[in-house]
Amino acid sequence: MFGLLESGFHLFYWGNALMIVIGLGFIYLAIGKKMEPLLLIPIGFGMILVNLPLSGVMDYEMQLRAPQAGIVMEVQMNEESHFKKGVPVCKLDSGEVKTPVFGRIDSIRVFPGQRVAKGDIIASIITMEQTDQSVLPTKPIGLLSIIFKFGVMWQILPPLMFLCLGALTDFGPMLANPKTLLLGAAAQFGVYLAFFFSLFFGFTLPEAASIGIIGGAEGPTTIYVTSILAPHIIGATAVACYSYMALVPIILPPVIYLLTTKKERAIYMKPQLRKVSKLEKVLFPLIGTVIVILFVPSSAPLIGCFMVGNLFRESGVTERLSKTAQTTLVDIVTIFLTLAIGASMPAQNFLQPKTLFILVLGVVAFASAAGAGVILAKIMNLFLKEKINPMIGAAGVSAVPMSARVVQVMGQKANKKNFLLMHAMGPNVAGAIGAAIAGGVFLGILR
Amino acid sequence: MTDWGLAIKIACGGFSLVFIILVTLAISIKLTKVITERIIKDKQ
Repeated sequence: MFGLLESGFHLFYWGNALMIVIGLGFIYLAIGKKMEPLLLIPIGFGMILVNLPLSGVMDYEMQLRAPQAGIVMEVQMNEESHFKKGVPVCKLDSGEVKTPVFGRIDSIRVFPGQRVAKGDIIASIITMEQTDQSVLPTKPIGLLSIIFKFGVMWQILPPLMFLCLGALTDFGPMLANPKTLLLGAAAQFGVYLAFFFSLFFGFTLPEAASIGIIGGAEGPTTIYVTSILAPHIIGATAVACYSYMALVPIILPPVIYLLTTKKERAIYMKPQLRKVSKLEKVLFPLIGTVIVILFVPSSAPLIGCFMVGNLFRESGVTERLSKTAQTTLVDIVTIFLTLAIGASMPAQNFLQPKTLFILVLGVVAFASAAGAGVILAKIMNLFLKEKINPMIGAAGVSAVPMSARVVQVMGQKANKKNFLLMHAMGPNVAGAIGAAIAGGVFLGILR
Repeated sequence: MTDWGLAIKIACGGFSLVFIILVTLAISIKLTKVITERIIKDKQ
């Protein structure tokens, strides 16, 4: 503009417009329909911000290096040139130097006739693409890329979020009825089913694991695993996970209706769970930490943070820490994490066939997790004297407490005397532990 | 090229491990209940 200021108009294309509409859609769901507003508003706003060209909020600087030695024959781009992935930047006598990511040129460091050695810097690039830092290291230079790199990619914010979730979680219903741990385990079937389907669709093992873990229905676990195994698809997997957590009231009921009869849905469960002592509630996070981490050491950051948060809650002597984790800290972490996740979805990255597969596989993961929980509950009923309502198996999809609330509503519809909320909280919470274990297993094998 | 052998090992092994760990936790919860009830009873 006037030769002084570059505006974003000339770079704005249909992809940006579509992503902004999607972001606005999330914000509408949050404000208009009251669906998970604490998550969807920052995610939606982050999507809008990053899809306004030249905003710079999610920019990374990368040095493009010569893959082999040679003499520069021709420089094919100028400073401020914008490019897609795989476009030649310059021609050497030994071959072309192509862009490994989409972005724009910040500065060209070579000229025709110059001799370059392998590894010499050809150009400095600005990109918004998430890369494998061991292969293509980048330096964050935007507000949200800095938060993303040091919060998400350094695996700090997801475990902190898990600490807050631990402080917010009451393990009482699960401790009162430990059978529900099996239902939480069954729900992890969705993780592995989506993992297999992902491989059929051509995703690599780390990508398939990152997509499969969506079935654990835990945002922090999904972000944590994906940030390590497949950071380039973190936007798609995180938005799939958080979106489907908000859509649990739509995803779960058809699965439950398909797999249960009217009589099964009306099975009455006594509302009174046994009273769990304070000593049990204090001992469980300690014993749980030791057992789980001895089996799966790579789950330590998630399980450790989850359990210490719960210990803050249950010890009775760390009320300040518990209160902070349940209120201020969870709000701060939510703001940073969800804004950064929303901003990890520029149109050039998100609008690809891969993303559509991820979104579809996410639904498969959620639905099959719920189905597996219901089916295991029905199998357990063959051996139990006091039957359990199989709908509580669907609450193994650990979107806490939304899945349990859905089961409660459906239970009341089937039998007005039934109060299933506390019974459903058992598998709900067990599913959170199961998801963290499943994530730890993937990391232990594939990292 | 997908290593299907490894994928099957990861899926079956991983799912089994999740079950084993959660069953172990369930058993430990039962044991903790028994032991804590005994401790509380002895105190009384």
